[in-house]
Amino acid sequence: MSLLSVDNLTIGYQTKKGLLRAVDKISFRLEKGGSLGFVGESGCGKTTIGMALMGLLPDNAEILGGHIRFQDRDLVSLTEIEWQQVRGAKIAMIFQAAMNALNPVFPVDEQVKEAIVTHQPDISDSDLTDRMKELFDLVDIPIGRMKNYPHEYSGGMKQRAVIAMALACNPALIIADEPTTALDVIVQDQILREIKTVQQKTRTGLIFISHDIAVVASVCEQICVMYAGQIVETGTRKEVFKSPRHPYTRTLLGSYLSLDNLNDIQVPDMKETPDQLSDDGECRFSSSCAACNKKCAHSSPDWIDISPTHKAFCCNPEMIRRGHGKS
Amino acid sequence: MLNKYFVSRFYKGWQIFIRNPLGKTGVIILGVFMIMAVASFLVPLIDPMYDPMTGIDPDIKLSTGPSFTHWLGTDNVGRDILAQLLEGAKVAFIVGLSSAFFSIVIGTLIGMIAGYAGGLVDAFLMRIADIIMVLPSLVILLILASLFGQFNIWIIVFIIAIMRWPAVSRVIRSQTLSLKHRPFIEASRVAGASHIRIVLRHIMPNVLPLAFLYMTFRVTSAILVEAALSFLGFGDPSQVSWGMMLQWVWKSGHMFQAPYWLIPPGLCISLLTLAFYMLGRAMDEVLDPRLRKEGQAE
Amino acid sequence: MAKPGYILLKLVEVGVIFFVILTALFFLFRLSPGDPISKMVDPMLTPEDMAHLIQQMGLDRPMWEQYLIYVKNFFTGHFGVSFHYGEPVANIIVDKLKWTILLFTTSTFLAAVVGVFLGKIAAWHKGSRLDNVMSISALVCYTLFIPWFALLLLWILGFKLGLFPLGGVLSPALWISNAPLIVRILDVLHHLMLPLMTLFVINLGSYLLLMRSSMLSVLREDYILTARAKGLSEKVIRNKHAARNAALPVITSVGLSLAFSINGGALTEQIFTWPGIGRELIFAVSNNDYPLAQACFLLIALVVLCANLIVDLLYAWLDPRITY
Repeated sequence: MSLLSVDNLTIGYQTKKGLLRAVDKISFRLEKGGSLGFVGESGCGKTTIGMALMGLLPDNAEILGGHIRFQDRDLVSLTEIEWQQVRGAKIAMIFQAAMNALNPVFPVDEQVKEAIVTHQPDISDSDLTDRMKELFDLVDIPIGRMKNYPHEYSGGMKQRAVIAMALACNPALIIADEPTTALDVIVQDQILREIKTVQQKTRTGLIFISHDIAVVASVCEQICVMYAGQIVETGTRKEVFKSPRHPYTRTLLGSYLSLDNLNDIQVPDMKETPDQLSDDGECRFSSSCAACNKKCAHSSPDWIDISPTHKAFCCNPEMIRRGHGKS
Repeated sequence: MLNKYFVSRFYKGWQIFIRNPLGKTGVIILGVFMIMAVASFLVPLIDPMYDPMTGIDPDIKLSTGPSFTHWLGTDNVGRDILAQLLEGAKVAFIVGLSSAFFSIVIGTLIGMIAGYAGGLVDAFLMRIADIIMVLPSLVILLILASLFGQFNIWIIVFIIAIMRWPAVSRVIRSQTLSLKHRPFIEASRVAGASHIRIVLRHIMPNVLPLAFLYMTFRVTSAILVEAALSFLGFGDPSQVSWGMMLQWVWKSGHMFQAPYWLIPPGLCISLLTLAFYMLGRAMDEVLDPRLRKEGQAE
Repeated sequence: MAKPGYILLKLVEVGVIFFVILTALFFLFRLSPGDPISKMVDPMLTPEDMAHLIQQMGLDRPMWEQYLIYVKNFFTGHFGVSFHYGEPVANIIVDKLKWTILLFTTSTFLAAVVGVFLGKIAAWHKGSRLDNVMSISALVCYTLFIPWFALLLLWILGFKLGLFPLGGVLSPALWISNAPLIVRILDVLHHLMLPLMTLFVINLGSYLLLMRSSMLSVLREDYILTARAKGLSEKVIRNKHAARNAALPVITSVGLSLAFSINGGALTEQIFTWPGIGRELIFAVSNNDYPLAQACFLLIALVVLCANLIVDLLYAWLDPRITY
């Protein structure tokens, strides 16, 4: 039984111009203790997925269809009260902490304690203290700094505090949304290592959301590449990173210039913004795709299997299966 | 070319402004008062009996209620209350607008100088602004009245302006500070423009819309302070202002017997203040895009 | 958290500002038209008393000496003799100060507490009918003209309905007859009601609106999302996480609106003949009693500065990010 299984999930936002499909018929699975990364540029819908998995979608967003099953429970139909019991306890979220994720007027230890006490109101004082120590040790924050205020922490420490807060109740699933984006590179590296270690130690499921494919590949076993609300390619980290098949994935990876592929992979201009209002089945990447041809205008993209774990969403099966040049 | 840009921006701003319920209501109320102010010029021409200050109805010796000849009744000397109310509208506009105007002129100049010059000049000017901002204007006016005697309306206007510029200057100063480091200012400096030229030609036009926004708030406080001063008996005795009317109804002991005399002036002061405040808030929304409701296009 | 250095700095600031005001007043006095001696010393006094006062206030000395004597006199409580009362000013104003402080602190405190509470609710139910009603009422309250509103209350609640006394701070009969303390206290409270209501309503409007907008911007902050993600209930998020942060700008605004409150307080005292220093100032100015007016003014300035100081310190205590 998968920890999390999402089928045909569609989420729309009410905008002035109409219903914007931020997430369009997404399906994926996550096993217990597994790690799955969502990569894509801003607006591709990855954060929306994260929010939907926490029941934190804004007021003008709506789940239009599909299922989310978590530990054999349907999440789409949960009420707010039921969500409050799930959030923090069973599913937790790690935000970008460099900004304002911690409340400035309360000391850090109080905020972490709050996470524990909310879901375990009968916990004894000694158990609470032990658990706090455990958590702070786990994320490498010195015990002596526990009672400080958030503004007295460095960016990396704040992020670690947020991680501790998410782990407080031993959730089965953690969703990390751009947790390292605002940190400088060295700290970023430390935090990523931290997340990986913690996840493997505690066997917690991890969903990692980022625009940076290199970051995602270093932490997650599985990767889903997203564009305009749809998953365009999914596979193990090795498969997606080393032999990307979908033109968009190749564009993403090609945007990283390195000394050995300067001449190989072209970085095309991204033309118009994709059309996320219609449900006509047209390929949304077609206006920016270097491999787009007449055939794409007449057919709808579909899933093409490359290996048992690797598949892509495109109109052109031959191109996908063939792959390109170096792997 | 520059003008067309400003005009289109202004028009867009106006659209947002007028759609805002506060802006709409404010403009309507303001319109009514403006009509009143204009009417105040014409009414005494109908019959000298209606002159707010000197017009006494020969048939009436004491305060009477509303009647056909006197729509709001008369005060205790026989003067028409409605005529006084119209005159009060005129005075309120004059006091409010000119005091606000002076305070934004002073405040903008000081704000720009402080923001642009920086350092000691900035610190010094802002300290003075802080001190003035803390002081209650009415109390200051009272002690000045005790030292220098009765003031005429223009002195009052000017003193209020002096008490009110600090708030404007703070806002202008921070705006100037953010403008100071923009590339186009650097470019002008490199091109050899003098400081004065930079301040007047480049900073001032960018800072003025904000100044006008704050003007609306200054208007309300000027009207209120003048009204309070007149109410206490220290206003200009040659002007019929709404505050003065309240003073008369109070001092003559009619406040419990003459609601038609007590209610209108205070109501007008409150409504006019409300109108200007609403205007200010609606303008706020025009100038700060973050405050706009969702669905309003840029 | 507020450190001793911060408190000291603020105290010094207050001292300096007060000195500036004290000095400015001195120069304005000298610049004003008329003879300074006749302004400060009642010509109706006996020649000996006059001479004594002139000497005490240094009015016959050169400017420099006069200034120093003036400053010294202020701090030793020698404010001259009131023309009207014929008594040393110091005796008069000390008596009045307590009434002003009573009215001022109770009205500000109540208005702030209720305003913050209602503003929090209004923000939470943003866009609903409740919110619209509260916001518009607050707006109306905010723009009411104080003397007019006070007169209306006086007329309707005092005169027509007879619920409250028409002025003063106590009923003379009770005090002459030496009634028990609790009765006298209730009597004072009874007299306090109308002026308190006036100031409460006016100030409530601004605190409500401010708390509402502060709350709305706090609710957009990231840490509110974090709190939700932790599984906290809406009530806890609203009251513990949001309100605490949203209340901080309101406290700052209490400080900024002190000037406005003092103005309003003076007007209210005047209408309800509440014997505070605001009313005394107005009285002194109307009666050309300059020694009294000057002392009242300086005392009011001091009260304003101290109130500002208290607000600053309160803010520093509540916001852990402020350190010096």
